[in-house]
Amino acid sequence: MPDRLLTEAPPSGEAKVRGEVTAPGGAADSGAVTAPVGKALPDTVTVPGEPTALGAAASPEEAAVAVTALVAGAADAWDRAGLLPVGLLRDLGAAGWLCAQVPAAYGGRGLTSAAGGAFTAHVGSLCSSVRSVLTSQGMAAWTIERLGTEEQRTAFLPRLTGGALAAAGFSERGAGSDLSAMTTQVRRDGDAVVLDGHKVWVTAAHYADLLVLFGRYEDDDAGAEGADGAVAVVVPADTPGVRVTRVADPLGCRAAGHADIALDAVRVPATHVLGGSSLPLPLLVTTALAYGRMSVAWGCVGILRGCLTAAARHAATREQFGVPLGEHQLVARHLAELFAAEQTATRVCEHASHCWDDGSPEQVVATVLAKHVSAGNAARGAATAVQVLASAGAQDGHLVARAHRDAKLMEIIEGSNEMCQLMLARHVLGNTV
Amino acid sequence: MSDFDTEATEKEILRFLEARTKRAWETDTDLFASGGLSSLFAMELVVHLEKAFAVSVRGADLRLDNFRTVESMTELVDRLRTTSAGGTGA
Repeated sequence: MPDRLLTEAPPSGEAKVRGEVTAPGGAADSGAVTAPVGKALPDTVTVPGEPTALGAAASPEEAAVAVTALVAGAADAWDRAGLLPVGLLRDLGAAGWLCAQVPAAYGGRGLTSAAGGAFTAHVGSLCSSVRSVLTSQGMAAWTIERLGTEEQRTAFLPRLTGGALAAAGFSERGAGSDLSAMTTQVRRDGDAVVLDGHKVWVTAAHYADLLVLFGRYEDDDAGAEGADGAVAVVVPADTPGVRVTRVADPLGCRAAGHADIALDAVRVPATHVLGGSSLPLPLLVTTALAYGRMSVAWGCVGILRGCLTAAARHAATREQFGVPLGEHQLVARHLAELFAAEQTATRVCEHASHCWDDGSPEQVVATVLAKHVSAGNAARGAATAVQVLASAGAQDGHLVARAHRDAKLMEIIEGSNEMCQLMLARHVLGNTV
Repeated sequence: MSDFDTEATEKEILRFLEARTKRAWETDTDLFASGGLSSLFAMELVVHLEKAFAVSVRGADLRLDNFRTVESMTELVDRLRTTSAGGTGA
């Protein structure tokens, strides 16, 4: 099923006429951003395959068709402007497609990991910025689902499937791979908690209404977790003391709304502390990131599919030395390796998703493996695609140029290549306890 | 009164631990005392308990103390099965 869903997607990007990037009318997004091409971005999307198609879509396959109509022709412009139309994101969210694995009981689509992954890959084949928003929303939802109480799931998840946008913040200036260096503090004060600190590079935070933020918990009742205790807190982005500042000119996923967040005496009800009490920081973070890694891995499969389609079409039609490029053996090898990269990433993601869907404990290692293999394959595959398209693809906004930059970021976020390698090596060595 | 089988539960958890770590464990050994359980392995334990005993470990139940020993995991499973049988869910 996943393959069918994705291979039916119309070829994205490569054939688009670059003069065509003007997104259809509507009000410009109000976000402060350097828009290099000065294109107005629609806040409400009224393109062919209107937004309601998202709500009407009964299956991920139908949603994929609707998303293709909304995204394929516009992704280049969004990348160059560094912004996504917020209306599109809200439409996607309200139809349940931004976090499609949320159970139906909370207003979600209740997709399996495998089906959600296939949808994520499809979105990723069109636009890694939109896919990044899916990853953020899904990770926020998963964190609430896993760490929250039933009351919290009931309170927050329907918002995430109802059009509100969410982001999850882990990293800090001094705490990237080493999240144990996290300094953001969450202090209990009566019926409230107060957050002080900062987060950096929070994907989709620019668009988010709800922020799921991780910090150290100070509470007299913190109990056995002691100094290692941490919590995830749901913080409305408009709470006084929250300041969200966009990361200027990110290398990749340029329209994903990466932002830094400053927290100055931010007060929210104590009921916003997921689960109500602290957990060991590593367990907390690992739990939340597990979903993000799976989502990024599938997104990388999408990057590879977009690149494979573009490279194959170019190699079949572009002629040099009197024959199509694909007839030149050195170019043919690129195509073979790109295909191998896409297929390998697909299989390793399918395996990990099936482990999730079967409830197998192997899902933990399989997820890290899927993220590692897919990100590396996407980075190499995208570089290969640029090589095959050469001057035809070596321009900002072009699908393979985007893929090249986007894939590089995927080797960094949600556990860098090196962190994944360390985790996998630890697994191999049996250093589990 | 539940018909919870403590011994069988402990046995199953020990089997999983020994299969994954290639060493023997006592039911009261502190898994975190000997160099620290990795967070990835802690997650494997969580998922294993959920799969093997048809429980859902959510929210505050993820706290470390519940996973410190085979005995504490067994108590957790017992409590979650009772809760779930009572229909209140996790």
